Amino acid sequence: MRHLRFRFLALGVVLMLAVPLVAACGSTTGGGGTTTGKTIKVGLVTDTGGLNDKSFNHLAYTGLLKAEHDLGVRGDVLQSVTQTDYVPNLTHFAAQGYDLVIAVGFDMQVALGQVSQTFPNTHFAIIDGSPTDANFNPVPRANVLSLFFREQEAGALVGTVAGVLEKDQKTPKPTGVISAVGGQKIPPVDRYIAGYQWAAKMADPSIKVLVGYSNDFTDPTKCSGIANSQFGQGSDVVFQVAGGCGNGALQAAGQKGVYSIGVDADQGFVDKSVIVSALKKVDVATFDAIKFIQDGSLPPDYQATGEAPCVASTRSCTEFLFNLKNGGVGYAVDNLNPLPSDVQTAVTNLENAIKAGQQTPPETVS
Amino acid sequence: MNALLIILGLFKSPDVYHSTLTYGTLLLLPALGGVISERSGVVNIAMEGMMLTGAFFAVVADLAWHNVWLAVLVAIIAGGFMALIHAVVSIRYHADQIVSGVAINIVAAGLTVFLLNQFYGVQEIGSVAPQFLIPNIKVPVLDAIPFIGPIFFEQNLVVYIAIILLVAINIILFRTRLGLRLRAVGEHPSAADTAGINVYTLRYGAVIASGLLSGLAGAFLSIGLSNTFVPNMTDGRGYIALAAMIFGKWTPLGAFAACLIFGLGQAIYDNTSIIPISPYFLSMLPYILTLVVLAGLVGRSIPPAADGIPYEPGNE
Repeated sequence: MRHLRFRFLALGVVLMLAVPLVAACGSTTGGGGTTTGKTIKVGLVTDTGGLNDKSFNHLAYTGLLKAEHDLGVRGDVLQSVTQTDYVPNLTHFAAQGYDLVIAVGFDMQVALGQVSQTFPNTHFAIIDGSPTDANFNPVPRANVLSLFFREQEAGALVGTVAGVLEKDQKTPKPTGVISAVGGQKIPPVDRYIAGYQWAAKMADPSIKVLVGYSNDFTDPTKCSGIANSQFGQGSDVVFQVAGGCGNGALQAAGQKGVYSIGVDADQGFVDKSVIVSALKKVDVATFDAIKFIQDGSLPPDYQATGEAPCVASTRSCTEFLFNLKNGGVGYAVDNLNPLPSDVQTAVTNLENAIKAGQQTPPETVS
Repeated sequence: MNALLIILGLFKSPDVYHSTLTYGTLLLLPALGGVISERSGVVNIAMEGMMLTGAFFAVVADLAWHNVWLAVLVAIIAGGFMALIHAVVSIRYHADQIVSGVAINIVAAGLTVFLLNQFYGVQEIGSVAPQFLIPNIKVPVLDAIPFIGPIFFEQNLVVYIAIILLVAINIILFRTRLGLRLRAVGEHPSAADTAGINVYTLRYGAVIASGLLSGLAGAFLSIGLSNTFVPNMTDGRGYIALAAMIFGKWTPLGAFAACLIFGLGQAIYDNTSIIPISPYFLSMLPYILTLVVLAGLVGRSIPPAADGIPYEPGNE
C-alpha cells in the first residue's frame, strides 16, 4: 500500500504538469466587420502567460481583435499553460489549414522551428523570436515572419525618467538606487533592462541599478518579493519586465510608497505607483503581420532592414523590426503627469537622438 | 564565497526572517489541513486545488462586493466545497483517495481558468484596491521591540490567525478527547467504531476542515500577498505543503518547521538582485535546503496506519 501511495503521488505530479491540456481549451471565435481583403483564418497561440496577463499576450489578442474588425479576418486563440502545449497548439491551427499562425513569444522559438518545417505551406509569425532548432540555433524558414522590437529604446526612455528623477532627488526616498525585476534572463527582457540601465546611468552617473530575475512570468508574489528586497536595498523606482508576475512588483511599490514603471502595455491603471510605462506595441505588430499576409502590404512607416527584403507577392518576409522611429515602441506617462519639465526635456532629447541614429542603446545588460 | 557572505549578511536584518514567516505561513495553512485530514485516515493531496479555488473566489467576491471579510469567507467556503467533493468520493464511495485528490486538482485548475474567461472574458480580471486587501497589522507596543518587532508583529492578519490555528490544532489533536478520537479513526477505524466513535462523521469533518484551511490560504495568496488572480497562481504550493506535512511526520509543529524551511529558501531567493549566483540555481534553494535539513535531521516518516484505506464496517 505504501509503495502504491507514492506511485500514485508520482502520477499526481505528472498529471499536475498535464493540467494545461485541460486549461488550454478556451478558444474564441471572431469574424464579421468590414471585409476589405480576402477572408483569411488566423490562429493565435499564447505563451504560458495566457490571455489574461495584462500585458504581452493580451496585446497580441487586441491586435487580432482589431484585424477581425478592420480586415474581416477570422481569428481563433489557443492558450498555452506550459511549454509542452506549444507544439500541439501550433500544429492544431496549421493542420486545420489556417492561413497564418502567430506564436506569441520568445519562449516558442523551438516549437515554431519544428512546426514550421512540418507545414511549409502555412504562414507563421512569431513575436520576439525566430525559429530555432532544439539547441536554439536559428533555422531560416521562408514561411516564418519574425516580429522584433527594439525594447532597449523604450527601456532607455523610462530609464531616463528614473535617472533624472533620482539625480534631482525627486523620487520618494532619494538614495541613488533604482531597480528592475525581469521575468527571465532572455533577450527581449534584457533589451529592456539594458536600455533602462544605460539611460539611467547616462542621466545620473553615480546611480546604482539593481537587477533581479524572478524566473516566472505569472506569479505576482514572486516579483513582489524581489521588489521588496530591492526596496530594502534602497531602490525607490522599480521597472517591471515580467508580465503578470511583474504586476506584483508594481503593487509592492504602491504599498511601500515608492515609484514603479510598467511594461509593454500602458499599465497606469494597475497601480497608482506606476509613473510611466515602457510601451511595446505588440498589438500593432500582430495587426501588421496579419495585414501583410492578407494583402501583401508592408506596415506604414516601415523601413525595410535591408538584409531582410519582403516579397509581397509570395507573402515572404523574414522580419519586421519595430522601433522608436516607426512608432513600434515608446513610452506613456501615467501617474506622474505631467513629468517635471527637465525630465520631460531629457526624455524628448533622447527620443530624438535615438530616432536620428545619434544614440544607440545597448542590447545586453552590463 | 562572496555570494555566501552576502547570503549570511542577509540574516543581520529582520527582513529575511519576516519574509520567511510570511511564506512559511502560506504553506502552513494547507499543511495543517493535510495533517488533520490524514490523521483521520483520508489521504489528501488536493490542497493545491482547494487553495487555487479559494484564491480565485476570493478575488471574484472582493471585486464584486468590495468587502474583504466576505471575500475571505467565500474563499474558505469554496475550499471547503472542493474538500466536500473529495470527502464524498473517498469516504462515502470508497474511491481511491489519491485519484480523487488528483482529480480535484485538475478540476480546480480547469474550472478557475474557465470561470475566469466566463466572468471577465479576456479582459483583465482587474486588481483589488489596496483598502480591500487583507490588512497587515502592526501590534501596538510589541512592534517597537527592536529586531523581534518587525519580524513577528508587523505581519499580515492571516499570519497571526495561522499561528493561533497552529497552536489550537496541536492542542486539539493531542490534548483533547476529539483529537484522540480523530487519531483513533486514522489508526484503527474498526476499533474506534467498536468503541462507539462515528468514523464517517469524524472523517468528513477532518477533510472539510482541510478544505477550509486551504481556502483561507488561497485568499491569503490572492488578496493578501497579491491583489489579483492569475491562472494556476498557487504554483505547486499545495504540493509543497503536502511535502511539509510528510516531512513534519503528520504533526502540526513538524509541518510548521518544514514550512519555515521552504519559506526561508524563498526569502533568500527574493534577494536575487544582490546575490551573484545564477537565478536558476538560486531558485532550487528551497528544495535543496529541505532535502539537506530534513534528510539529515528528520529520518523516517510513518503515516497513520489507516491512512488512505476507506473504512467499511466489518471488513477487516
